[in-house]
Amino acid sequence: MNNPLIPKKMPFFKQLKRTLHQIRASSFVRGGISGEGDEDSWRARQLIKPEDQMDLTDAELCEEIPKVLSCENRNVPHNLVIYSFREGGYIPVPRTTNVVTIFEHEGTALHIESSEAKAQIADERDRGIVQVDPRISDLKSGSQTGTTTPDLDRNPDENADGENEEEVGSEAGGEADAEGEEEQKETQTAVAAGPKKKLTNQFNFCERAALTYNSPSRSVETQTVPPPRSSFSANVVQWHIYDSYNEDYERLKREKEKEMLKEKKPGLQKHAEMKRGDAKTKAAEEFNRKYFQKAQVLERMVNQNIFDEIAHDYRYWEDPSDEYREDDGTLLPLWKFTYDKCKKMSVTDICLNTFYYDLFAVCFGSFDFIKQVTEGYVCLFSIKNPSFPEYRITTESGAMCCDIHKKYPYLIVVGQYDGNVCVYNLQDGKDPVYVSQGVNGKHSEAIWEVKWGEDMQDGEINFYSLSTDGRVFNWVLMQNKLTLTTIITLYLDVNPVSGPDGTTIKLKASGTCMVFHPTNKEIFQVGTEDGLIFKCSTAYSSKYLMIYQAHYLSVHRMDFNKFNSNIFISCSGDWRVKIWEDMRSDPLFIFDLGASVGDVKWAPYSSTVFAAVTTEGRVFVFDLNVNKYKPICSQQVVPRKRNKLTRIVFNNKLPFIIVGDDKGTSITLKLSPNLRLPCKPTKKQQYQDQLQLQISKLDRLLSLVRELPDGVEATQEDVQTEVGSN
Amino acid sequence: MSQEVEETLKRIQQHKGVVGTIVVNNEGVAVKSTLDNTSTVQYAGLMGQLADKARSVVRDLDPSNDLTFLRIRSKKHEIMIAPDKDFIMIVIQNPTD
Repeated sequence: MNNPLIPKKMPFFKQLKRTLHQIRASSFVRGGISGEGDEDSWRARQLIKPEDQMDLTDAELCEEIPKVLSCENRNVPHNLVIYSFREGGYIPVPRTTNVVTIFEHEGTALHIESSEAKAQIADERDRGIVQVDPRISDLKSGSQTGTTTPDLDRNPDENADGENEEEVGSEAGGEADAEGEEEQKETQTAVAAGPKKKLTNQFNFCERAALTYNSPSRSVETQTVPPPRSSFSANVVQWHIYDSYNEDYERLKREKEKEMLKEKKPGLQKHAEMKRGDAKTKAAEEFNRKYFQKAQVLERMVNQNIFDEIAHDYRYWEDPSDEYREDDGTLLPLWKFTYDKCKKMSVTDICLNTFYYDLFAVCFGSFDFIKQVTEGYVCLFSIKNPSFPEYRITTESGAMCCDIHKKYPYLIVVGQYDGNVCVYNLQDGKDPVYVSQGVNGKHSEAIWEVKWGEDMQDGEINFYSLSTDGRVFNWVLMQNKLTLTTIITLYLDVNPVSGPDGTTIKLKASGTCMVFHPTNKEIFQVGTEDGLIFKCSTAYSSKYLMIYQAHYLSVHRMDFNKFNSNIFISCSGDWRVKIWEDMRSDPLFIFDLGASVGDVKWAPYSSTVFAAVTTEGRVFVFDLNVNKYKPICSQQVVPRKRNKLTRIVFNNKLPFIIVGDDKGTSITLKLSPNLRLPCKPTKKQQYQDQLQLQISKLDRLLSLVRELPDGVEATQEDVQTEVGSN
Repeated sequence: MSQEVEETLKRIQQHKGVVGTIVVNNEGVAVKSTLDNTSTVQYAGLMGQLADKARSVVRDLDPSNDLTFLRIRSKKHEIMIAPDKDFIMIVIQNPTD
């Protein structure tokens, strides 16, 4: 189409386009991107002509080519058919119109002759009347405000109408006052006039539109500070998972406990809160405990390296020369236990721990009345660390004896030279848990033996103590104090001697040692300074079951045989060791060791083996089954002139003995194989165990030794029944 | 550290053949040492790693198990390591002395 309008418009478009381009370019420049390239390309495009454009002459250009526009669309097909299945043939489709709607707009003008326009005109006319007529307007306002106009004319027709209406109203609503009825009637008249005026809708709806200012849209952008990032990487192995599960389980358990606490009592909760307060100090304590434990382990290891050879000897050295010796054995010195502060004190007692067989308690004090020490010690050594005690207890005066509880291996009772007893709990620290108090609440002289008793009927822990003052006390560990009862006061069987001012004093027997019967816990024996042995019962406080005229000097120690509780052994300052049978006034065996015997003990592994130590520093080991007259081992352990041996203990499990001397040293000695020969069963005894073999071994021996005077068997039986009745 | 621990460490140091004792906290810093600075740092770093690895090995084999002690016997020394969650104690001893 060669419309002259189009070329005219082109420059404008171009201009517009260019300005647009410029704007765009400038905006790009502002955005940081150059837009100059685009402008150049636009200019270049203007110059390009199609190559096949014809060059026309002026005449040709001036030639007019008429073109006619028609309203007929020639592209519309006029012979369309469609197949009709109903009629079974093709039927022509009606031709579509040539009209193409390009633009449609609903106008606001109406054709004056259309019905709608007519209605509108009529409506406008009506409205004009309404506005003119004040009566109707009043009516309207009245209906709206709900108040009646008093100067309103009421024509009778209307009244009559109202009455009619009233009848209907009374039928419907019942008691409605007159004014209300009038109102109703008036509104009805208004409604009746309604349909005439209102054309568009019945609600007198009117539309009003307003255009508000468009608030200019603005975009604001901000950039937040990026959240901090960190990279995390970890390897997960099986035990990590295991640990975290455990942790979670612990946490759940704690939560559950907390809930339980909450449910239970508020008081308890308060208690828990109080506990939380000192949690910090507890944590520090825990930390220290761990430090200490590790340091101890390290010390043990260092010691193990230092005493490597001894450890090997202890474990593997079995004296090979024993095979060539007839019956004799030897003792191999192993570790020596000392504590720096006790170098000048004597070992007054050695007691094995019942739970840890490598642990033993050593008491340090002095036997010498003149050279008493100002403070005593009880050290618990372990053979795992020979250089330093595992636990140290300091006592106010020399520690004379101690005992470790069988059932509670952390409880240790210490008897002191000043007559006081104290109980320590090794788990609790260095202070005693119980101490005897007051002049009347203790022994008046040195305590020589303390022994834990069987728990009482109501589970109270108790122990017995023996002192030179001739009394045996029973101490019970109450909630917060020790209570004491006198079991027996030992009196010598001599006439009272005259004291000052004409009084007479009954002499007391000064006890030096005490043993409890291994099976009958009521029976105990006390050895005294003047060589007597009293057999007593906790049930009788004034009667002795038996008095043995045992020794000429003070009895140092006694011990019941581990396999036969009717046999016991005693040792004394009169150089003698005697073996006794229960209720028999004469000893079965007497051994003279040539020096004051400090201690004697039956071996735990054999019924016929016992060992004794003398003040000359010798250790004697006897096996009655091998030799009834001579020791099978007699060995100088410490220098004869300088040291005296005071105490001896067999380890219950391991093949060594511990001996203590008066210079604060405890020496462990390994028993050579000959000293601990097991019983060889004869053919008859094939099926008996070692215990029975040991018992029968001792019985055989005893039957040989007993010079059976008349009636001995009878008395034996009597004794047993008597003991049983106790 | 309590008196007891200090005493024990002091005693260990006085034992025969003990070359040095080091206590390393859980951050790998030596809090206590009787060796010179360089070897302390070296021991603390290397032994810490070794103890961790050893613990990992033990726990990998059985998660309910744990490493309690580790000793290394070398031509010259015996190095004893007592590892804990919060610290490591190291003692170097010359056992042939």
